Amino acid sequence: MSKETVKAPQPEWLLAALLRYGTWLASGVTGLGVAMSLVGVEGTQVIAAGVALFIALPVLRLLVMLGAFILGRDYRLVIVTTVVLVTILAALVIGLSFSKPLAH
Amino acid sequence: MDPGFGLWLFAVSLGASALGGMLGMASGIFIVPILTMFLHIDIRTAIGASIVSVIACSCGSASPFLEAGLVNIRLAVVLETTTTLGALTGVLLAGIIPTAYLFILFALILALSAQQMLARRGETAGAATTADTWGWAGALRLDASYPDRGQRVEYRVQRLPLGMLLMYGAGLISALLGIGSGVLKIPAMDTALRLPIKVSSATSNFMIGVTAAASAGAYFLRGDIVPAVAGPVALGSVVGSLLGARILMAVSNERTRLLFVVVLVALALQMALSGFGLELGGPSE
Repeated sequence: MSKETVKAPQPEWLLAALLRYGTWLASGVTGLGVAMSLVGVEGTQVIAAGVALFIALPVLRLLVMLGAFILGRDYRLVIVTTVVLVTILAALVIGLSFSKPLAH
Repeated sequence: MDPGFGLWLFAVSLGASALGGMLGMASGIFIVPILTMFLHIDIRTAIGASIVSVIACSCGSASPFLEAGLVNIRLAVVLETTTTLGALTGVLLAGIIPTAYLFILFALILALSAQQMLARRGETAGAATTADTWGWAGALRLDASYPDRGQRVEYRVQRLPLGMLLMYGAGLISALLGIGSGVLKIPAMDTALRLPIKVSSATSNFMIGVTAAASAGAYFLRGDIVPAVAGPVALGSVVGSLLGARILMAVSNERTRLLFVVVLVALALQMALSGFGLELGGPSE
């Protein structure tokens, strides 16, 4: 039995709040766009913004974790989290380099 | 696109997600077959929409698990190094793989899911109190504890390198097919890492969002995600997963489970036929 005494404040609650309110926000924006399309207003760009928010949410969650690991001086996990962020960045760069005009 | 079609997409995704949620399954596995076979949407558009809905469901359902202390966030981020690398590989392959093979691969994953559902997932025997892999799991302080019936249960993470390798495959399939790959993550977490079932479910769900963000981000920037399809599908899936979790207790019995096995097998056959049809029928991109 080893109780850990040196530990950063638990980031779980912060992550839970971020994901909960982030989902509400992204759903709200997407819903607004869908509703606009239904009543005949051009809503595609608003829906696209909602979709982009959904995709950004896990990346934000990684950034919050990175911050928590830095505060906790947990440098091994800081490196691990940075590797994940860099991998996602690489995927984005690949996506951009093959980009074509937004489909409708 | 006809705006009424958006409403239809919303309703169909809500239904698929609620049904999936009732059995504790991710909805992604139903979204692509439904969109391609019943609504005749191009499979790449369907995959793009599905991967966004996978993120939405993961983020939308993560909070209660986090608050309950069931998610091992340290382990999650360690495993995400290989799931995102797998997703990156999938993004590169997605542009090259012919559509017919995507259908056939999807059929295989559906069949695997049916088999897994039939086998019923049980608590792994002798779940992890021994400390054989001190190397990585120890250095990264991945061993933890979770609350169960008012007590804290300690557990250790086993065979991390094997788990990470399996997670690479899960990330790859997730990016290629637009699914959460729970069907591949669950064996990795139960068998290789030997996590307690509650921790494994919560951590797997938490990880799916980041894995899918890598591929969804690339597809979005590449222009493969059609907002008019992806938006209503994501919205329907979030609402459906919340509803599905509520009726989980009420209907989860042997008969619904068997019904789902039949549905999965039927979808697998249909997807395989579409795949071979494309293969034989020549170019139909």
